[in-house]
Amino acid sequence: MKKDFAKLNYYEMLDIKPDAAFFEIRHAYNAALQIYEADSLVSYSFFSREERKEILNLLEKAYSTLINGKGRKNYDNQLMQTGVLASPGNKAAARKPACIYDVKRQSGTTVLPKNNKAALRANVAQNKRINEILSKDEISGADLKAIRNELGVAIEKIASETRIRMDYLIGMEENKIDRLPAVAFLKGFVKSYLKCLCVEPVEGICARYIEGLARMGKNNETGVF
Amino acid sequence: MVHIWPIGGGKGGSGKSFLTSSLGRLLAGLGKKTLLVDLDLGSANLHTLVDVPYPEKSFSDFIRKKIPLLEDVVSETPVPNLYIISGAHDNLDIANLPYEQKVKILKAIARLDYDWILLDLGAGTSFNTLDFFLISQNSMFITTPEPTSIENVYRLVRAIYFRRIRHYFNATDFKALEEEVLRQFGEGSFNNPDCIMEVIKEAHPEKNLLLENDFNSFKFKLVLNQLRKHDNIALGSQICKIIEKHLGLQVDFAGNIAFDDRVHDAICQRVSFLDRYPYTRTAYDLRELSKRIAQFTGQQLLIRYT
Repeated sequence: MKKDFAKLNYYEMLDIKPDAAFFEIRHAYNAALQIYEADSLVSYSFFSREERKEILNLLEKAYSTLINGKGRKNYDNQLMQTGVLASPGNKAAARKPACIYDVKRQSGTTVLPKNNKAALRANVAQNKRINEILSKDEISGADLKAIRNELGVAIEKIASETRIRMDYLIGMEENKIDRLPAVAFLKGFVKSYLKCLCVEPVEGICARYIEGLARMGKNNETGVF
Repeated sequence: MVHIWPIGGGKGGSGKSFLTSSLGRLLAGLGKKTLLVDLDLGSANLHTLVDVPYPEKSFSDFIRKKIPLLEDVVSETPVPNLYIISGAHDNLDIANLPYEQKVKILKAIARLDYDWILLDLGAGTSFNTLDFFLISQNSMFITTPEPTSIENVYRLVRAIYFRRIRHYFNATDFKALEEEVLRQFGEGSFNNPDCIMEVIKEAHPEKNLLLENDFNSFKFKLVLNQLRKHDNIALGSQICKIIEKHLGLQVDFAGNIAFDDRVHDAICQRVSFLDRYPYTRTAYDLRELSKRIAQFTGQQLLIRYT
């Protein structure tokens, strides 16, 4: 029931952990003094005069040992030899303060994480239907939509990643020529769209798509192309 | 399940009866059927604090077998859900209760059907007080931030230890134990429960196990009453720490209760402090304490009588 104070180790006396920092040791010592000092209200009548003197001496010794770097190292070694303290090899490294700002973080605009890109690329290579579409001479908006659906990427995701307006994207997929921007811009948009889905080769597919649109334009005689 | 809470603390005037009555009112206000038992035998005055100035029945009636059942000694109070067993107008010799009668009272209390039973115990460390303390694993010590009061709390804690140890031995064994302790540790060591436990550990391992089990299951709470503004608010937790570190007994600090002169006024006017001054710091502290205590649970009746 009673734990003999003299048998405690210095860390237990001061109620601190073995990896306590110096300021924690100092705080613990001050807190202990508040309790054990001769005129302390807390321990009034709890100890006899001799007991109190002994405890104060022990505390003094514990504090002066631990607060001194060299003394503490020696004492820790003693404890390790008796097996009270685990050797530093097993001890987890002291926690370091974590950076709020990670300077190494890449400032890419990609919404999809990197590994997601790799998965997409693998998907494109394996998917039969996508390969069929890509082997066609002419690629329409419906084909683009089919590829996107095969990969399971939402159109909103592409919009947020490429920053292309939603009505342009929908127009591209639905071959609505009257809604699309000028060819110079459209080429860029289609390339971003394809890059976002990781479909290769970007240039070739883009050219085939524009060709298809041009033919359709001639048929409809809208005169955009 | 009934929760029995003995409330005591070595020194007189530290606010045991006031705390008991206030907690009783608050628990009753929560809709719990609460019984206050005035076990400050010989100097009972809990009835005055709950506004029952002339109780018709008292402990003496039960002890003298005028009323056979303890249930029938219970009086109602003006507060709904709050009941009291008063010690008013007791016989003048009731303070010196024979052991058999004390056992009878304890057993009767444990059988009562209430949600909460608060026992208001007397000052000092007489066997009466200690045995009433040991009726439950829960109990509350109350102290004021003064050396006199703190000294008595430490004494009370050690005395409870001592009493509990005594319960496990008969007179002859206990005498033998005393001699053995004196032989091993020298003069005066029999007042130190630690030395006694050392001897028991070697001589009676099976009893040591039971005792350790008991001491581990005690859920003592400490309340620091009459805390003035300039007092050390960490005092209560420091007291608990020292008891745990040097006696190995777990005492939880349940909270501070601020000092307020108006408590005196309320008692003098015989009105409820909580009703008259509900927005004081003291009333707030009492409400917080009652909420915290309502969450605690513990087994009752530890004492084994042979």
